[in-house]
Amino acid sequence: MAFELKEGLFVVDELKNVSIKIGKVIEEEEEWTEPMGPTPKPDILALRKWDMKLLERYEPFYAPVQDFCNLCTMGPCDLSMNKRGACGIDLKTAKARLVTIACCIGAASHGGHARHMIDHLIKEFGEDFPIDLGGDVNIEAPIIRTVIGIRPKTLGDLREAMEWAERELMRVLHATHIGNEESLLDYESKAMHVSMVDHVVMEIADIAQIVAYNMPKAEPDTPLVDTGFGVIDKNKPVIVVVGHNVLYSKPVLDYLEEMGRLEDFEIAGLCCTTHDMARVGGKGSSKIFGPISYQLRVIRSGLPDVMVSDEQCIRADLLEACKAMGIPLIATSDAAVRGLPDVSEWPVEKIVDALVSGKLPGVFLPDPEKVGQVAPLVAEGVFKKHGGERKYRFFATDEDLWNEINKCTQCMNCVFTCPHNLRIDQGMEHAQKTKDLSKLAKLEEQCIACMKCEQACPKSIKIINVIMASNFERLYNKTGKTRVGRGPVQDTEIRNVGQPIVMGQIPGVIAAVGCINFPDEMKSLREIIEEFIKRRYIVVTSGCHAMDLGMIKDEDGQTVFEKYPGNFDAGCITNMGSCVANSHIAGAAIKIANIFAMRPLRGNYAEIADYVLNRVGAVGFSWGPYSHKAAAIATGFNRLGVPVVVGPHGTKYRRAYIGKYYKPEKWWVYDIKTRKKMNIEPAPDSLLIAVETKEEAIVQLARLCIRPNDTSLGRQIKLTHYLELSQKYLGTLPDDWPIYVRSEADLPLRMKEELMHILESEHGWKIDWDKKKIVEGPIRPFDAGFNPTLVEEVYEKYAGEKPPQ
Amino acid sequence: MAVSKEDKYPIARRYQIADIQVSREATAVKPNVVANLIKKAKRPVLVTGGKLLREEKLVEVAEKFYSKGIPIIATGGSSRVLIEKGIKPQSSVFTLHYVTQFMLDEDWKGFDGKGPYDVVIFLGFLPYYLSRMLSALKHFSKMTTISIDEFYQPHAKFSFTNLTANKELYYRMLDEVVNGI
Repeated sequence: MAFELKEGLFVVDELKNVSIKIGKVIEEEEEWTEPMGPTPKPDILALRKWDMKLLERYEPFYAPVQDFCNLCTMGPCDLSMNKRGACGIDLKTAKARLVTIACCIGAASHGGHARHMIDHLIKEFGEDFPIDLGGDVNIEAPIIRTVIGIRPKTLGDLREAMEWAERELMRVLHATHIGNEESLLDYESKAMHVSMVDHVVMEIADIAQIVAYNMPKAEPDTPLVDTGFGVIDKNKPVIVVVGHNVLYSKPVLDYLEEMGRLEDFEIAGLCCTTHDMARVGGKGSSKIFGPISYQLRVIRSGLPDVMVSDEQCIRADLLEACKAMGIPLIATSDAAVRGLPDVSEWPVEKIVDALVSGKLPGVFLPDPEKVGQVAPLVAEGVFKKHGGERKYRFFATDEDLWNEINKCTQCMNCVFTCPHNLRIDQGMEHAQKTKDLSKLAKLEEQCIACMKCEQACPKSIKIINVIMASNFERLYNKTGKTRVGRGPVQDTEIRNVGQPIVMGQIPGVIAAVGCINFPDEMKSLREIIEEFIKRRYIVVTSGCHAMDLGMIKDEDGQTVFEKYPGNFDAGCITNMGSCVANSHIAGAAIKIANIFAMRPLRGNYAEIADYVLNRVGAVGFSWGPYSHKAAAIATGFNRLGVPVVVGPHGTKYRRAYIGKYYKPEKWWVYDIKTRKKMNIEPAPDSLLIAVETKEEAIVQLARLCIRPNDTSLGRQIKLTHYLELSQKYLGTLPDDWPIYVRSEADLPLRMKEELMHILESEHGWKIDWDKKKIVEGPIRPFDAGFNPTLVEEVYEKYAGEKPPQ
Repeated sequence: MAVSKEDKYPIARRYQIADIQVSREATAVKPNVVANLIKKAKRPVLVTGGKLLREEKLVEVAEKFYSKGIPIIATGGSSRVLIEKGIKPQSSVFTLHYVTQFMLDEDWKGFDGKGPYDVVIFLGFLPYYLSRMLSALKHFSKMTTISIDEFYQPHAKFSFTNLTANKELYYRMLDEVVNGI
């Protein structure tokens, strides 16, 4: 029965001293026929059993950065060689705790963003504002359905998931206090739990902003937005936004649109806010300056007339950097007030005057609507002052540049503090001797402009400016196109690709996401990604990886977004959007289990993750991860059964999940068809692994797409790519290819006979050459009805009996 | 040409000023010490990294290791340039991250199945990446680790000193190692 009660006081006749409390009002009859699964709103231990299955196979690996702990007053404690500290914790467990804390920070960042977003949007649009992600998206919130067990229909419904997330985050953070967990595995389970929380809150944040701000709703063919330094019209006032929460900077677009003055300004941004600004209204009204590593490049270029910062990943010295260039800063997020005065109560004119005149270098203005008015007025005021004559060559004259270069004594202090150990000394020395800046210019392609080098330099050389100025023409003329973030994957797209992914005919889904701490020049990212697009994998991207790809052109002058379609399909590349849009990648994997395999989602996490691990050949890839959020995103994918490959800086997260192929007892499943517990090939054999080079990245990504449930044709296709890529980049067949062979039908057609000879002669397999069949050798035979699971309850559900021992 | 007594070895300056731990730092060793450690080892192995794709000299050095009977585990794609020289690495596809995880396992018999390696020499890696792996091996294994890269690696048991300012000296030291084994 449906009924509606308005808020207010109620008088019930004849009753006195009676208190009536109304909890959640179900506004209409529940029409979701899917039965509730075993773990709706899972508490901190509800999925521990699943985690332990993963951790048994994928053993945590720790690479300490510090071997001491100083988190309490009993310390500091020497934990080296796995010693225990005063509290009793050993080094490995201390690292597991640290990783859990990092994942908590990541989840709290997305969670804080999500909470802020839904509170604000509910206030603005009302709690009944519908969640409508377009006609092609019926499974609106696959993660929330699977984890929380609800189908959110309105913005208000998202609060239920949010409240659960906040509670679980608190519980996990509690566990990291001194004197709690003793087992590193339990910390890892908690890291996975809070990282699953992270995926939930990312989904909340992105769904809320998509529906409320009319961002693209699962549209493959979104507009292309101008990307790079060279796209900025320097003859207009330039407003630069930086951060991750579009809530504060969207009103800038609204205000200018309302005033009919959008064309009079340049609005560009850095990092995820700029993705979301481009998504607002689905129009691509703002431009993308570049990734988060472009902050100092942009500020020191002198191009911005005003900076608007919000939260996450922004430089902690943003105000100082802006001040040095005379660029007014408007800080907006309560997460990053930057010591600035709160001017929320000031009239707009007073704020504008304070910033344009330079009386204040920056202000804290947590009122989005006011930011919308103030930022353009400040930009216009500053622009009028300089009249378009910006100091944007990093140095006033060439002489100034050479004076800086000539100060260098090659002491190498910069090299030994640079995250990449870039050979700045060699670039300087080469320039001093030859007047050739090319070696310094090359460094620009890899420098993340962290500025540590400048602090280390005893001669106070402006090293960042030298590097940027050395590559000035190339940097300043860099232009490209990024496809505006599309948000979710359509249910219809999943219907089309679900079967070929699970069967293996589409060899895999590669998700290139995350930050920019690349070990190599930016173009290496495109080389890696394009290898897979050309081989007709499904490639998705988001965040800084997406905007980097939007700046790298091929010889025909095209970025991958111009060259390939934006569908979630083989041979395409689709940009999901900002950090929080990563939730749609996990969502797509979940939807495959539901739409293609009819697995119920509702409160049914372990079954879905088990399905994904065994059947969905998706691999995450982060070439340059650095944030805590990236740690949480990756660990959340790991719990969902998706392996992640990271660049070499990723080892500084300290922990990986790496299986041991040579331990057959670790690699088993229950087969629901044969009612047996059986050994399988180690596929995938790691959940989180670092690579050193692009060559290694390409091979590992192909390798980790292999899944136990591949059909013969699917395995044949996956092995074809794996073997070809290994031969191309490693110069040989991979060492482990035979362990993935279940029958002769798995072998790549082009190499079949050659490979069968190798199996016979080098690995002792028995071959029937008359029938051209493998008789003996594989770990297991191929069975078309193979139905693997690691979860006892799932076995029992589908087999109708207890699993075999 | 061997490194002469007159050569002055630079000080052992950590590849990264902030990569500090309270436990022991690597003993900075001269080439003859490295050669002796390898000669005395029962199961030595050379692990090569991605830098071999960009520095021909390192390939040449690895080739000489191999010719002296030291097996090679190739990572980072370095197998391609080694195979072109006729070398058969024990492994080509596993990353250094995998290899380190396997080495931490006392039950692991090595890629050739003949038993655990006792002395591991590292050549041609991104310094920050190698450092993390050396830290894992320092804290959680008894293995003897030797870095012969040009950056001094504090978490190895033994490391070349910092040779980043003198490539010629670095190459001569590499030659002396391979000539001494």
